[in-house]
Amino acid sequence: MLKNYLKIAWRNIRKQKFYSFLNIFGLSLGLASCLLITLYVVDELSFDRSFDHADRIYRVNSDIRFGGADMKLAVAPDPLAFTMMKDYPQVEAATRLREDGSALVRRNGSTENLKEELVAYADSTFFKVFSVPLVSGDARTALTNPNTMVISERDAKKYFGSENPMGKTLLLDNERTFTITGVMKNIPDHSHLSDLHMMLSMSTNPDSRDNNWGSHNFLTYFLLKEGVDQASFEKHFDTVIEKYTSLWVRQIMNATMAEMRKSGSYIKYSLIPLTDIHLHSDRSAEISTNGNVQYVYIFGVVAIFLLGIACVNFMNLATARSANRAKEVGVRKALGSKRSYLVGQFLTEAVMLSFLSLIFGIILAYATLPLFNNLASKQIIFPFGSGIFWAIAVLTGICVGLLAGSYPAFFLSAFKPLTVLRGAIEHNGKGGYLRNSLVVFQFMVSVMLIIGTGVIYNQLNYIQTKKLGFEKDQVLIVKNAYALDTKARAFKDEVAQMPNVKRSTLSSFLPTPSSRTDNTFFPQGQLQQDKGINMQKWAVDYDYIKTLNLKMKLGRAFQKDFPSDSSGIIINETAAKILGYANPIGKQIYDFEFNSNKKDKTYTILGVVSNFHFESLRKNIGALSLTLQPSYGLVAISLEGGNYINTINQVQALWKQMAPGQPFNYRFMDEDFDNVYRSEQRIGQIFITFAVISILIGCLGLFGLSAYTAERRTKEIGVRKVLGASVSNIVALLSKDFLKLVLLSIVIGSPIAWYGMNTWLKEFAYHIDIAWWMFALAGLLAIVIALLTVSFQSIKAALMNPVKSLKSE
Amino acid sequence: MIKIANMHKVFSTEEVETTALNGIDMDVRDGEFVAIMGPSGCGKSTLLNILGLLDNPSEGSYEFYGTEVAKMSERQRAQIRKGNIGFVFQSFNLIDELTVYENVELPLLYLKTPPAERKEKVEAALTRMNMMHRRNHFPQQLSGGQQQRTAIARAVVATPKTILADEPTGNLDSKNGEEVMNLLSQLNAAGTTILMVTHSPYDAGFAHRIVNLFDGKIVTEKVHV
Ligand SMILES: Nc1ncnc2c1ncn2[C@@H]1O[C@H](COP(=O)(O)OP(=O)(O)OP(=O)(O)O)[C@@H](O)[C@H]1O
Ligand SMILES: [Mg+2]
Repeated sequence: MLKNYLKIAWRNIRKQKFYSFLNIFGLSLGLASCLLITLYVVDELSFDRSFDHADRIYRVNSDIRFGGADMKLAVAPDPLAFTMMKDYPQVEAATRLREDGSALVRRNGSTENLKEELVAYADSTFFKVFSVPLVSGDARTALTNPNTMVISERDAKKYFGSENPMGKTLLLDNERTFTITGVMKNIPDHSHLSDLHMMLSMSTNPDSRDNNWGSHNFLTYFLLKEGVDQASFEKHFDTVIEKYTSLWVRQIMNATMAEMRKSGSYIKYSLIPLTDIHLHSDRSAEISTNGNVQYVYIFGVVAIFLLGIACVNFMNLATARSANRAKEVGVRKALGSKRSYLVGQFLTEAVMLSFLSLIFGIILAYATLPLFNNLASKQIIFPFGSGIFWAIAVLTGICVGLLAGSYPAFFLSAFKPLTVLRGAIEHNGKGGYLRNSLVVFQFMVSVMLIIGTGVIYNQLNYIQTKKLGFEKDQVLIVKNAYALDTKARAFKDEVAQMPNVKRSTLSSFLPTPSSRTDNTFFPQGQLQQDKGINMQKWAVDYDYIKTLNLKMKLGRAFQKDFPSDSSGIIINETAAKILGYANPIGKQIYDFEFNSNKKDKTYTILGVVSNFHFESLRKNIGALSLTLQPSYGLVAISLEGGNYINTINQVQALWKQMAPGQPFNYRFMDEDFDNVYRSEQRIGQIFITFAVISILIGCLGLFGLSAYTAERRTKEIGVRKVLGASVSNIVALLSKDFLKLVLLSIVIGSPIAWYGMNTWLKEFAYHIDIAWWMFALAGLLAIVIALLTVSFQSIKAALMNPVKSLKSE
Repeated sequence: MIKIANMHKVFSTEEVETTALNGIDMDVRDGEFVAIMGPSGCGKSTLLNILGLLDNPSEGSYEFYGTEVAKMSERQRAQIRKGNIGFVFQSFNLIDELTVYENVELPLLYLKTPPAERKEKVEAALTRMNMMHRRNHFPQQLSGGQQQRTAIARAVVATPKTILADEPTGNLDSKNGEEVMNLLSQLNAAGTTILMVTHSPYDAGFAHRIVNLFDGKIVTEKVHV
């Protein structure tokens, strides 16, 4: 029986080459896209799962409100980890990481520095929490002593080649020497810690023993004992805060916890499961840029839509053809064939088509995986060896076949033999409605994707062209300027003298990604905690404001002829507003040190700088202050138009001369700026890609349907032509019905797209408004595409000799 | 005035070439009623289709009221057909999705006749064919005779100079057939040129002239009256 089914199915597929091609092509595209997206989603979901006991590892999150600022941090105070460990037996192990940023590293004896992007201090207990195996060294003691470090296999190879690095030393930033006491396997790619290749012993860092409950700098991880419930363990944080933090508040702030809370301030700790960090954590002081679960959802939905569109084609073409196959059904039925046999026959055909498509789809996905990896910025490997993959693939093939084939199968087999043989099968009955709604669904998805693409690109364009309050174009940034050591200022001054250079400034702080520090200030000696204001405190030089073309709103910038400016401060409009002075110029504010060993500093407000976007446009502009202090991280150089290459070469030559052996890294500021929105750009590209694919699949279906309609209406077309219809009359006649469907899909799709894109735009504090013309444009595009697709068949039908059309009856 | 000279029509399919018309010369005067007869497959329909500008001859010339049309494209032919030629087919060829009224209205729509005039003309044609009472019916709800009367109404509604009829009584019983022939005669009497293919000697009796075809050639012509 099955053999018979298969034989006839195969014959039918080959007989109907055109429709089989449309079916298989569309479905392969849909399956390939769906497969790629599934691989992406699986990849995103697999982060941090490869560690032993990953389900028992948690990180501490801190939520703080203080001094008019809300902070969501991925870091905790230094004493928290081991206080919890000591007080609560539920903790099996605890460890901290303290990010130390990038570093210039070289082997002793070498003159070339290499740049390491991420160096962090780690407690010796790191390996108790994270099961990263050591290739050499003892995991229990490797990070115990000061000035020791563990490096990854990658870095061992990078610095020592085939030599054994154990006991050898590395020099960091030209001044700190560390002895290697362990080499660990590279942390898996699918981990939020994957960039960690150099860990310094925490004992080297005195901050780690500060016992400062008010300063949050340490990524804190717990391995909880088996059976410990996250929620009930989190309750203990309240106890810890009452016991330790409040003591600290009393000592340092001279206030009680209750007073703090009354003024709206709070501090809360919670746990986030290790496996949730990648997709669900987007806090300040994350150790790596995490993914975004929103995009996983969006992609999931897009994948389902694409597969849906492809299945719709399949169903549509099959039911459309049903008229042609109705005779076959009638004859078979008249000959005594049972309905179940017919259903079986059609389903076999559908599943066979679906498997053919699956094979092509897998080939297509495999072939385009590098492109997709590029697009999604991933390193996904095709899971050829995975049994689960093949099982799911086969299951998908069967399900898609059954799903796509079931409607036509039951629709066709339910024909009554007599009506069918009389040739009176209802063309616009139930089948017509379903077919029409399916076409509407397809175009709705396409319209939504087009609108989505339009909105994303408009927002990106808005970001690109927005007045930011500072000059980002034609600004060259030389990184790692601390490698110049004492010559940093001389370098900056000499660069400013070069032709084509307008100005230069030396600071670690820029409105594009760079260092950040926020401090709490109090106005005029009032140390009441409810008057505190939390703001960025950036150390800059005299030329900073002019180089970045910042505008002064009130007062004046730093000037060399006022020696007292070293204790002056310039605040931005937001800070001025929070401080609430009618005239802030000349007022004094105190930079509060949350550490009894250090002394508070008093600053006099010299001026107010107009607000500029120093964070991404996702955030509102917060409070910020500038002070005159040495800070040697970066040199920003504003250039005249013209030949940059020459200038860059000159700057590099000067660098080589003043900092021999140090890597010369530079970037243009607008590149750094654009990088902040890379994920949005990527989403935009992905949307375009899938919009094109969805339109392509939809058009394949529409093409088939219009061919079928033209075929079905051949006689009518002939008659109309005999009666004087022109070619354009006929094209209009055949296209009109499809156009109505496309219009309907625009009407349905637009509000959904509007809602979705508005939600996306809310991620930005500064965003465009969705305008009506975006919908109009998307609609027009869909209409034009649909028209082109349909008119190909219509024109063909319209140009046919009417005699031929009449003959077909 | 219709003038054809040395007309050939060859159909080539993958395997065979069929010569449907093999050197036809023929003149039709204004207001004439010509019947074309001959055995099945001799090329009658082919000839009529070419005369009606639905198809091109493979060879030869065709002058339609002073215009050479033999080599015209479908687009140009459609332009000439419009309003000049009415068709009546053996199988009626009404559009199933349209009512009697809408079917008859169709040629006027394509001629862009203004609505008021259209209504007047459609109603006149339907009244003449005695189909007014059925104007809102669909073709499947009509008898064969009624369908053919509708088709004739549609053929005459734009008052064409020429009506071509391919076996207009072929699917009808003798009573309905007689009725259709009377209608055609009346139209002819009112000045319309009629070219009709028929197998029925009785029907051919209504014509002024009978052209006999055999194997794509005219074998005899007989003139009545
Ligand atoms: N489109 C076509 N392709 C190939 N051959 C054709 C085509 N149309 C007609 N013929 C052939 O041309 C010849 C004439 O056909 P035509 O339809 O003119 O015959 P007829 O005289 O109208 O016959 P009948 O009385 O049966 O209607 C026939 O042999 C037919 O097979
Ligand atoms: Mg014939």
